[in-house]
This record gives sequence, structure tokens and C-alpha cells, in this order.
Amino acid sequence: MAELTTLARPYAKAVFAEASEKSALDAWSDDLATLSAFAADADMAKVLVHPSLTSEQQAQALTDVCGDKLNEAAKNLVAVLAENKRLALLPEIAALYEELKAQLQNTVDVVVTSAFEISDAQAEKLAAALKAKLQCDVRLTSEIDESLIGGAIIRAGDLVIDGSVTGKLSKLAEAMKS
Amino acid sequence: MQQLNPSEISEVIKKRIESLDVTSQAQNEGTVVSVSDGIVRIHGLADAMYGEMIEFEGGVFGLAMNLERDSVGAVVLGDYKGLAEGQTAKCTGRILEVPTGEALLGRVVDALGNPIDGKGPIETATSAPVERVAPGVIARQGVDQPLPTGYKAVDSMVPVGRGQRELIIGDRQTGKTAMAIDAIINQKNTGVKCIYVAVGQKQSSIANVVRKLEEHGALENTIIVAAGAADPAAMQFLAPYAGCAMGEYFLDRGEDALIVYDDLTKQAWAYRQISLLLKRPPGREAYPGDVFYLHSRLLERACRVNADYVKQVSGVEGKTGSLTALPIIETQGGDVSAFVPTNVISITDGQIFLETNLFNSGIRPAMNAGISVSRVGGAAQTKIIKKLGGGIRLALAQYRELAAFAQFASDLDEATRKQLEHGKAVTELMKQGQYAPMSTADMGLSIYAATEGHLEDVEVTKIQAFEAALLSYANSEYAELMAKINVKGDYNDEIAAGLKECIEKFKSTQTW
Repeated sequence: MAELTTLARPYAKAVFAEASEKSALDAWSDDLATLSAFAADADMAKVLVHPSLTSEQQAQALTDVCGDKLNEAAKNLVAVLAENKRLALLPEIAALYEELKAQLQNTVDVVVTSAFEISDAQAEKLAAALKAKLQCDVRLTSEIDESLIGGAIIRAGDLVIDGSVTGKLSKLAEAMKS
Repeated sequence: MQQLNPSEISEVIKKRIESLDVTSQAQNEGTVVSVSDGIVRIHGLADAMYGEMIEFEGGVFGLAMNLERDSVGAVVLGDYKGLAEGQTAKCTGRILEVPTGEALLGRVVDALGNPIDGKGPIETATSAPVERVAPGVIARQGVDQPLPTGYKAVDSMVPVGRGQRELIIGDRQTGKTAMAIDAIINQKNTGVKCIYVAVGQKQSSIANVVRKLEEHGALENTIIVAAGAADPAAMQFLAPYAGCAMGEYFLDRGEDALIVYDDLTKQAWAYRQISLLLKRPPGREAYPGDVFYLHSRLLERACRVNADYVKQVSGVEGKTGSLTALPIIETQGGDVSAFVPTNVISITDGQIFLETNLFNSGIRPAMNAGISVSRVGGAAQTKIIKKLGGGIRLALAQYRELAAFAQFASDLDEATRKQLEHGKAVTELMKQGQYAPMSTADMGLSIYAATEGHLEDVEVTKIQAFEAALLSYANSEYAELMAKINVKGDYNDEIAAGLKECIEKFKSTQTW
């Protein structure tokens, strides 16, 4: 995984540079999302690494599936990736591209996992607090995991704030053991 | 009814619950990508520091050693069998620390300072980071106090001073560990705290060392840090640094400590294993590029510090601290020009060479007096040993030269024959049993007898018996003189006359 990210980085940077030059950040976002969704598909993944197909055929297969959703530049990206036999990297490239985009727009994706659904007022309060802490705009998505019992876990990239009851209980268990 | 555990008393539980910090804190998390032979690669952990502890699921800890662009390479400290791909790993924000303090004396601990001797938990108030930069030039002071090892051969010819690093080097089965253990035993009434670091050794050898120290009453002022052959390579790599941190506790408080690293060859092997698994490029003998630094940064921490430093660090006034290191290196087939031996020879302040052929011909300690040196210990010798010991080194050097030459000559002149006899006698006198360290006075008397020619009329085969009888006679009949020498190690005409009288009286009245 770490190695894939390293391989994907130059492609993502190149796409990002191209997109910001042409100010087509969102269009590229959509294209990459489509491409990575197809590339991640199990059948498509098989095609993309199949040894008996030439790289042109693989590129053709991918662009055909996407149909007319792709613009010319995105098709060229697929061709370049196929030439270098890196088509399987598309999901990583998309993820890295989104990261770069978020960095430029100074936003961060935050996932809030809670035991119960959080109300809009709560979400707003959370977003404001996180905005102050992380000093950038926050895009909040929420998930529900009943095994947390209560409270919530907030994830922003590598940063994790565990305020769940389960987390506290396991901390307590550890303290009792030591 | 099930038995109640002492930790289940409600008072204890209440305290624990009270002291528990349940505030949620922001933490850095990553995902385990691969686990191989104690090496874990983690994706994420963007804020990890070099040398930081990393917590895995199930309470296992690791040490961040490779910080790369997209991943962190960590070594697992402990059992890595439960770890799996996809598990989370958390930063702890702590650099690896070990407990330090007096409470560790008399205990056997692992490389992280956890007790492994079954004597219950160790209550220490202090802890210290495992890695520390050695004191700088301003903090240091010259080595000028002796650290007697109790071996005639060592103390007279390659003396060790407090704060010195003296390497013990030799093949397997030449008595390296025995020499180090005797040096520890000899410290039992001197107030010098000892740390014995066992790296990559058989558990049976470690148990043996513990038992021997206990038998000789030296365990109470000794800490044993054990990372056996079955422990993970990470523990074997860390153990010397952990032991050193425990020794620095005493150094910082103006006390004297002695640390034995047994042995650094195995630590280098463990480090080589870790480095290769972390995919660091191999160099000579497949060791990584920083294997010199591995040992130099460890041995630089053994030093003598001045009173100003001690006052600044711990507030203890008017005392200098020292940490003496006796690293051990095992050579293969006597090859001291291999990578690790040459490195450590160049780092240390001298070396004691132990040789297989000397050992097998019954000369024990099997020290080769010709190539063993001490670069700084001379300034730290007691007066009596310094004065008398010079003759020993000279006698042995001349003996070796003549012995090689005399093999070709059939008849020798009187002077040569006499010198050969004297050399033989001195070689015989330098033999000493294990677990029998000698006091300064005993040593002084023995060496005086040799250098002043009192051994000339003693048969070579009877020299050891002569010495034993002489020492027991002197300690009972001349106890006052012996005590006087032991106190300060002085040497003057009066003491010389006393020694002479003692030997002459012994020879005329006693048998051996």
C-alpha cells in the first residue's frame, strides 16, 4: 500500500498541475472518480493486469467502458498509464489527487463515527470546533457504529480523536491490568 | 471460591479508577501494511518521531526506526505473533524510556526494565530515555581513580580507571565473561554499582551468572539486564542502551558505576538483522553503514564527569561521577581484524586480549600481556601497584623475546638463564583462579615478591602454593601492614621494608 502511494504520487501531481492550469479541478475530480470506480471493479481489475492483452487493448477497454463520460485529457492519462503498465494505480491516483485538491482549498475530510445519529446542530457545532482546531475548512461525513455504545470517534486523515465509550472502557481495562 | 487477587482489593481499584485519565486526546493513527520477522511497516502515522514508541492492538509496543515518505518502519518490542495486516497502530508521543534507580539493584530485568526474576514489581520513581547524547568536553574530567578488577595481571599491566572503557576481546571459551564477572564481584565492598548486560546469551549462562553473583554477595549492588538468544532482535539491540541509561542514573548522582556489555558482537548481529529487514543497504560483512556509530555512541556514554556537571544535573554537590565500561567482543578464530572488533578496539581506551592457546596451556586469565594495553588507566593506578607493576610487564616482555630466541640455543649464559627463570616465575605468579579477586595489599605483596627477586629460590611448580601460603601468613601476622596498604595503596620505604620483613620471616619460618 505504501509502495503504491509512492508510485501513484507523480501521476497525481501531474494531473493536479494540469487541472489547476486549465482550472478544471472539479471536472478532473469527476473523471478520476469514474476511472477509479471502474478500475476497482473486480472484472475490470482482471482485464487491467491480464498478461495476454496489450497495453493499448487495456486502455481501450477502460475508455470504452467509461463511454463518453471522459474528456480527451483523461483518455490520454489512461493511455500513459497503460503504456507504463500502471492502470491498477488509478484508485490511489484519485485518492492522492483529492488530497492535493483539499490541500489547495484548505479543506479536510472528517469522518465522524458515532453510536447514534448526530443532529444537524451537533454536526455544525462539531465542524466549528474542528475548524478551530485544524485551522481549515471541514467537510463532515458521519457514520453510525452501534458497537461504540456512546460518544464518537473523529478521524481527519491520520489524526484520530477517540471520545467513544468503548475507547474509554478499553482504557480503563488497560489501567486496571497494569 | 475463586482466589482473590491482591490487585482486586476495592481500595486499590478505587484509586486506579480515580487516577484514570479519560479525556479523549487527539492521536495519530496508521495501518499496519506488513509484518515480517519483528519488522512492521505502517501506512500513515505522519507525525511519528524517530525512536518513538508505537502502540499496536493488544498492547504491544514498537519502536519507529525508519521514517519514510509514505510509511514508517518499526521494530516490535515483544511478541509480534498477534499482529496482522490492517490493524491500527497509534503514536504515543513518547520516546522509549526505561525505569532507573536504586530499586533495580539486585534485580534481573529485560531490555525495557521489566522484572524477569519473579521477585515482584520494581518500584522506581525515575525513568530515563534509552538513547542519550554523551556528556560533552566541558562536563568531563580525567580518569584518575582506580577501578580494581582484582586480577593481578590486569591491575598491574592493563589497569582500569573509573570512567574508562576497556575492551575484553577473545575467542569463545577464553574466560571473557569470567573476567568481567570477577571484576563485578570485586566491587562488592567498594560502593561501585554494577550493571551486567547480557546480549544474545543462553538463558542458562545468564542464570549461572546470577547465581554466581548471588553466591559471592555481589548481586545486591548489581543490575542484570538480560536479552537472551530467544528474545527478539530488537530487544538484543536495545539492551546495552537500556543498561547504560540505568548506569547513567548513578553517574548523574555523583556515584561510580561499572557496566559490562556481554557481548557487543551479538548486539551488532541483532542490529544487522534489524537493518537488513528494514531494507537498509548492507555494507562490509553485511553490517549497515552506521554500525560504528552503533557502538561509538554507546561507549561514549561511559565517562568520568566533573562535580559541576553532577551538581547541574542532580543537585548533588562536590562529587564526581563515573561510568566505567567493560565491553566484551568475541572474535572468530582469533581474527581481530574483522569489522566489529576493529571498530570497538578503536573506540575503547585499551583492550585485554585473551587467547585460546594461553588458556589451554593453563595460563588463566589467558591474557596476552604483549598486545593488551590500557591507554588511560596508568594515571589511575594505586601507587604501590604502579611502582611495582612496571617490573612485571618488563619481565614478561623480556621473557617472551628470550623464550623465542632460546629455542634455538642449546646452552645459555647465566644471565639469560636467570632471566628466563624469572619470566617463568612471573608467568606462573600471574595465574589466578576464578571468583578469587585479590585486594590491593595481596596484589602488592605478590608483585613485590616477584620484582625483588624473592621467588628465585622457589620452584616454578610451587609458586602458586608459595603465594597462597605467603598471603595467608601476611594477612594473619602482618594484618596491620596489609590494612594500611589497602586503605590508600601508598608505597614508601617503610612499607617496602615491612613487605621485605614479612617475606623473609615467612620464608624462614614457614613451609609451602
